[in-house]
Amino acid sequence: MINLTINGLKVSVEKGTTLLEAAQFFGFPIPTLCHMEGLSPYGACRLCVVEIGEGPKAKLVSSCTYPAEEGLKVRTASRRVVKARKMVIELLLATAPQSKVIQDLASAHEVRQQRFRQEYEDCILCGLCARMCKEQMMANAIGFRGRGEKRSLGAPFDIKNEVCRLCGGCIYVCPVCMLRCTYTEPEKAICGGCANIGPPCVEKEKFNDMMCYMEPCVACEIRKE
Amino acid sequence: MGQLRSISEFRALYDRLNIVRNRKIPTIIISAGTCGQASGANDLIRIAKREILSRGLANKINLRITGCHGFCEMEPSVLIEPHGIFYPEVGLEDMVRVVDAVSRDAVLEDLPFKDPQTGQPVIKQSDIPFYKKQLRLILSRNEKVDPIRIYNYIENSGYQPLIGILDNGERDWVLSEVKESGLRGRGGAGFPTGLKWEMLAKQNGNAGKYLVCNADEGDPGAYMDRSVLEGNPHSIIEGMLIGAYGTGATEGVIYVRNEYPLAIKHLIIALRQARELGLLGENILGTDFSFDIKIVKGAGAFVCGEETALMRSVEGRVGEPRQRPPYPVEKGINGRPTAINNVETWANIPVIFDMGAEDFAKIGTKNNSGTKIFSLVGKVKYTGLVEVPMGTTIETIVNDIGGGPSGNARIKAVQTGGPSGGCIPSSMFNLPIDYDSLTKVGSIMGSGGMIVMDDNTCMLDIAKYYMNFLKDESCGKCFTCRKGTQRMHEILDDITSGKAGMAHIDLLAELAEVVKDTTMCGLGNTASNPVLSTLKYFRNEYERHIWDQRCDSFVCKEIVGAPCQSACPIGTEAWRYVAHIAHGEYEQAYKVIRETNPFPSVCARVCDHKCESRCKLGTIGMSPVAIRALKRFVTDTIDPMTYKPERMSSNGNGERPIAVIGSGPSGLTAAHYLSLKGYKVTVFESESIPGGMLTCGIPSYRLPRGILDKEIESLVDENVTVQCNTKLGRDITIDELFNQGYKSVFLAMGAHKSRKLNIEGEDIEGVYPAIQFLKDFNLRGEKIAKGRVGVIGGGDSAVDAARVALRQPAVESVTILYRRTRAEMPALATEVDAAIDEGIKLETLVTPLKIRSRKGKLSGVDCLRNKLGEMDASGRRNPVPIPGSEFTAEFDTLVVTIGDVPDIEFIEGMGIEVTEKGTVKYDSETLATSRAGVFAGGDVVTGPNTVVRAIAAGKKAAAMIDRFLHGQELKQPSRAGIPGHYLPPSGLSDEELNEIRRVVPSTVDMRYRTSSFVEVEQTLSQEEAAREARRCLRCDLEFTQPAEDKAEKIGGKVA
Repeated sequence: MINLTINGLKVSVEKGTTLLEAAQFFGFPIPTLCHMEGLSPYGACRLCVVEIGEGPKAKLVSSCTYPAEEGLKVRTASRRVVKARKMVIELLLATAPQSKVIQDLASAHEVRQQRFRQEYEDCILCGLCARMCKEQMMANAIGFRGRGEKRSLGAPFDIKNEVCRLCGGCIYVCPVCMLRCTYTEPEKAICGGCANIGPPCVEKEKFNDMMCYMEPCVACEIRKE
Repeated sequence: MGQLRSISEFRALYDRLNIVRNRKIPTIIISAGTCGQASGANDLIRIAKREILSRGLANKINLRITGCHGFCEMEPSVLIEPHGIFYPEVGLEDMVRVVDAVSRDAVLEDLPFKDPQTGQPVIKQSDIPFYKKQLRLILSRNEKVDPIRIYNYIENSGYQPLIGILDNGERDWVLSEVKESGLRGRGGAGFPTGLKWEMLAKQNGNAGKYLVCNADEGDPGAYMDRSVLEGNPHSIIEGMLIGAYGTGATEGVIYVRNEYPLAIKHLIIALRQARELGLLGENILGTDFSFDIKIVKGAGAFVCGEETALMRSVEGRVGEPRQRPPYPVEKGINGRPTAINNVETWANIPVIFDMGAEDFAKIGTKNNSGTKIFSLVGKVKYTGLVEVPMGTTIETIVNDIGGGPSGNARIKAVQTGGPSGGCIPSSMFNLPIDYDSLTKVGSIMGSGGMIVMDDNTCMLDIAKYYMNFLKDESCGKCFTCRKGTQRMHEILDDITSGKAGMAHIDLLAELAEVVKDTTMCGLGNTASNPVLSTLKYFRNEYERHIWDQRCDSFVCKEIVGAPCQSACPIGTEAWRYVAHIAHGEYEQAYKVIRETNPFPSVCARVCDHKCESRCKLGTIGMSPVAIRALKRFVTDTIDPMTYKPERMSSNGNGERPIAVIGSGPSGLTAAHYLSLKGYKVTVFESESIPGGMLTCGIPSYRLPRGILDKEIESLVDENVTVQCNTKLGRDITIDELFNQGYKSVFLAMGAHKSRKLNIEGEDIEGVYPAIQFLKDFNLRGEKIAKGRVGVIGGGDSAVDAARVALRQPAVESVTILYRRTRAEMPALATEVDAAIDEGIKLETLVTPLKIRSRKGKLSGVDCLRNKLGEMDASGRRNPVPIPGSEFTAEFDTLVVTIGDVPDIEFIEGMGIEVTEKGTVKYDSETLATSRAGVFAGGDVVTGPNTVVRAIAAGKKAAAMIDRFLHGQELKQPSRAGIPGHYLPPSGLSDEELNEIRRVVPSTVDMRYRTSSFVEVEQTLSQEEAAREARRCLRCDLEFTQPAEDKAEKIGGKVA
């Protein structure tokens, strides 16, 4: 067992536990976007940062990837953490404001302004879909491509990947498109962003016949109209 | 090449090589790294070979082709051993002569490096300032070995440290030596190498351990790793072998960027040779030590220099950093323990074992031992690779080794550590460079890139450049790094194009801190450094860009617009009137000039034309457009009455009288613009005629009185009253003015008191302060100069005084004495030229010590000669007296013109605060003084300055007083003056542009010049003006040209 302190509480966890798991187990909430139980931790969204160490050596790390270490002092909601988290949410809002997940996050963390130039991206590159596809659906049909500004998610060369079984798992886990809008009539939609839905690996025409457990499937509804 | 099967066989080889080698034969060493080859080293090699063979010198001269010697500015360079003679920038013909000279054991006198200060040739490499202050432990080895010949490396004691270790060294001893040496990772973070190795040695190595040489050098402007790999690959191999022996590593990887083809080629050859000799592979030299190295080529992702990303790349996956812990030493490539060191770190290992850890640790500073290679690039005279002990100051590197600025502009900052580093301002150049000090000031060592920046570099542009680089090169995994760098770039782009507000600075700073905090790897952690350090040290530049919409370096195109317009203190659209002249539309040209400038004819003659110094034609290496001469042509051609100023009177302005003190350019400009707004203005002038310095300071051969009077007259309209012979402090006070009903006062009295030399004898008869001398003549026509005249000073008024003196009848000769050199003189260069043409002598590097007198009358000045020393704050080199160089210059008249100060002792009693320099204290943005309602501008706040600046101050004062009287906020953001009127191009072809030279206005015959006050410079003819105007590159078109015209041009239809 490894002994550490979370927000002043002395706890012990099994070796290999991440700080996120430890904090959540002991009841300290940490917001996440790119983390999902059953998928390997990745550390892309940086929402789950916590402060470790003390004095000038104190630093922020992503709790979903950082392993619990002996004697570590963790603060999950220090001033520095909160400031950073708010900025991350502000950046998320500036990128994909139509996502209900992100809107809820902003509301829960009292982020009331967005000072950057507004963008309407339909992907924040959290990588959940790619991990879902690889680790749970055992397909590995999609992945990251490019780097930096040009990084994107999708099938190699944007050609439909034959290992894709059209399971819809990628859409199911997506924090930006899923649940962001359950309306299919454009005039009732809160943002209209769903009209641009672009599933990473499937061609829209095949949505009608696919084995999809999403109910209702936003994209299919649009197709039918 | 047979395989060596034991250590003794290696030693036998070494001995054999050294017997064969003849050290007495001269060797021609040609530096042929990538940079050398690019500047023609390959041709030199061919010529050298041909010469040596054709003249049968093969046994008398050795030729060695080596990697880079570091002095990039002087490539291709040739070094001659054994004397160490250095020939820079050798041409093809020179090479033939070099071979010839070497064969005769002679030195070519005309080729060697010339000391820029003394002009003397410096023959030996070790005497050249660039090399003198370096300690080249690693780089000097480049000169000794041909990188593709392993025997060359061995005969220079290469692989000896390794043999020593294999022979009797223990593993622990190797580790403790490296630890004792204090070597820290040269990749930038500075982790102690010994510690890293020790941790690796402790790991369970059953499945094998890796050693990696990180040669993914991706920083823009850094190339020291490349030069070591190209020039001395065996030192890396040897370093890795020693490391493997110490840590028990079994496999080595050199991760090198594919962009380094020569380095890869040399590495492949070196590895093959080492393997063939039995220095690599199984059972090295017959011992039970086995180690082999493979090369992995990186595809050029900057992030792959980060160790965890590098490991993934070696594994064949996408280079993307991961969380540490686990650290590579625990879990590295393929899950096995791995230690990663930078090229330079590996190159240091043989050096340490060669000289001994104890001696190595003595180099440098505490906790920062050894040397560091910097690639010194940018706006510095001598660029190149510089190896200095840790703890050397930036000052030494930039000024002593680098030779100071490459151009005339002042060095402003250095940027260290590439995209992850920060900018260090010149005020901190005495900082000793090591890992810890650089981190403290907000930069990093990084791989050692050092980019020198001068006043022509915009710090925001630099920050933007790095953000652009990083937003492309971030791996994109961490949301805050990917989006954060994009957003920082976006904000910087907004600021540099004038679209941002002040709040953007705070947002930028906030975002930068969060990016630094929340990212996973070193790239993200340091990505904000360029922004944070420029914000810290150059915040004023950010504010200038946002608030004033000015880029003082003239880099940010969107707010600079046309440089000529932007450079002008009053924003004259020079491009526009030049274009009108090219089209023959002189009236429109006059209107354009007059719109911003109430003194067009004056400025056409005496302006210091900032527009010309920023003219694009000038900055791209040709002569700038003669804008002032063109303005002169227009003002001389067109009747001023063509321009009718627009009057915009607001309610009640006529009932608010305003007092202006001083009728110089500043005061009259303010009065004019206030009058246009409907205010009644009274201008109080202390002298008998208005004009201020224009009348009493500037001589009539530069500015004819008739023209000046006409211009002043045109400004004195029904709203303006000029009251002469009324001096503030003598005849009136500010309180009185307010009591008389004036609502606001503008102080523009100029600077009319000459500064004193403060040396003995200044009160003797025959010594005159410049102002008195010029006023006596210009206002009263008194000709007081007699005999031999001396003028002390180097400014415009010194030249004016000298030329006025020359035109007085009783004068025999005129000499100007100045303490620095001609290049540092603040006076306009054309004026100095004219003065010399007229026969005035110029004595530079002279400081007056004492004024001598005979019978109470001036007889001469005791002087001391100077030489130029260190750079001062203004970027000029300070004069340093040469002891024992005293001499006496004999004069009958002496004019002291070392600067003027405002004559305002009385003003503090009127409730106006004064600065230490004796000028009126004011807010430079609003011109407000410490007393409400009183504004000040022109020389009275700045000290002696140019006419156009005084006009600018007058215009600003008028606007501020208007705002003040209407109760508006004084401080208001300004808008950048971007060209807005489209005028079609005049269609000058490139050939014509190259043919037409800048026009030189004709001057009056010399006979008349020295004896009369006729105007010296003449106006241009119509043809001259049209031709000159067509030279303009028309920077404005980029902003004004309609879209369809642009498209046409791209289609090539424009003739």
